[in-house]
Amino acid sequence: MTEQGGPLVTSGSRQQYQLSSDRPQPANLADILERVLDKGIVIAGDIKVNLLDIELLTIKIRLLVASVDKAKEMGIDWWENDPMLSSRSRDQELEEENRDLKARLKELESGRE
Amino acid sequence: MSETGLYCYAITRGLDPAALEGSAGIAGAPLRLVEHGGLGAVVSEVDLAEFGEEGLRRNLEDLGWLESVATTHDAVARLASEQVPTAPLRLATVFLGEDSVRARLGEWHDAASRALDRIEGRGEWSVKAYVDADAQETPAAEQEPAEEMGAGRAYLLKRRAATQRREASAQAGAELAEEIHAALEGGTVLSRRLAPQDRRLTGHTGEMVLNGTYLVDASGVAAFKDLVARLASEHPRVRLEVGGPWPPYTFASLDPQ
Repeated sequence: MTEQGGPLVTSGSRQQYQLSSDRPQPANLADILERVLDKGIVIAGDIKVNLLDIELLTIKIRLLVASVDKAKEMGIDWWENDPMLSSRSRDQELEEENRDLKARLKELESGRE
Repeated sequence: MSETGLYCYAITRGLDPAALEGSAGIAGAPLRLVEHGGLGAVVSEVDLAEFGEEGLRRNLEDLGWLESVATTHDAVARLASEQVPTAPLRLATVFLGEDSVRARLGEWHDAASRALDRIEGRGEWSVKAYVDADAQETPAAEQEPAEEMGAGRAYLLKRRAATQRREASAQAGAELAEEIHAALEGGTVLSRRLAPQDRRLTGHTGEMVLNGTYLVDASGVAAFKDLVARLASEHPRVRLEVGGPWPPYTFASLDPQ
């Protein structure tokens, strides 16, 4: 289980802008999503993207964000593990698998002695 | 790659196609320029298995996929906007061939040209204001409950005081945000307040009371930053963060704002 209070969406390149810096810096994922999903010019391409889908996704992220507190109060933490909502969960799966394998290895090794 | 389409990142004016040489877009595909009527669309080939209607419907729900496409989309828009007037497109605008890109450039020529006029020589800057929770909370004059006051009544009074403090600080945060935004607006061409981001999405500390975005003349950037610094020193309880220049996502829209 991940700790409370960490960012829900993590990005390797996340960096905060600081007043002291004059150099353009990589933006964080929330900043980028806010702009590329909600702003930018809208011209219909040949592939029908349901902009509605994108809006739904944005809404989903927003709803998720708005409801985290309430859900935590109720002891619900599905967003921590939902692959749709958390890019961490895949890592977490691997981590768990890794941990299990290590434990088994240890068991086997100690058995051999 | 099976069938391919053209993912369109941005509409530009006056971009030298050579400026895109050696740069890659989504999945490492080379960027190129499709030109028509003095405008150039920055595109790269994408696999329609991933970017067709069905693929997009599936992939847009995958936050890891979305992160990677959104980041690349932004990087390409940035590459162009650092050189020439650029109107970034919204995520996932895909065409089946160069002819339809050209047709669309023709169709939107006038509106896109107006948008480019609006942002030429200007950049989009973001200013966020945060108030730290403990700085915002005015220290409570902890009154010892009078002897004769019952525990229940004392508890209720304490609860009420806490609620009032919270309301007062939220009100103060909103006023502060309004004041800072108004001050910044003065020195900018256009401005817009976006919804404050949630710290659970960004990992920031404190409460974001302002998420403003400002269209600033290139010649006015230094003054704009000075103004932000001055506002920061005038309001020690507020942390100000300035970011940019962004490609003008907010201000290059096709509708007059």
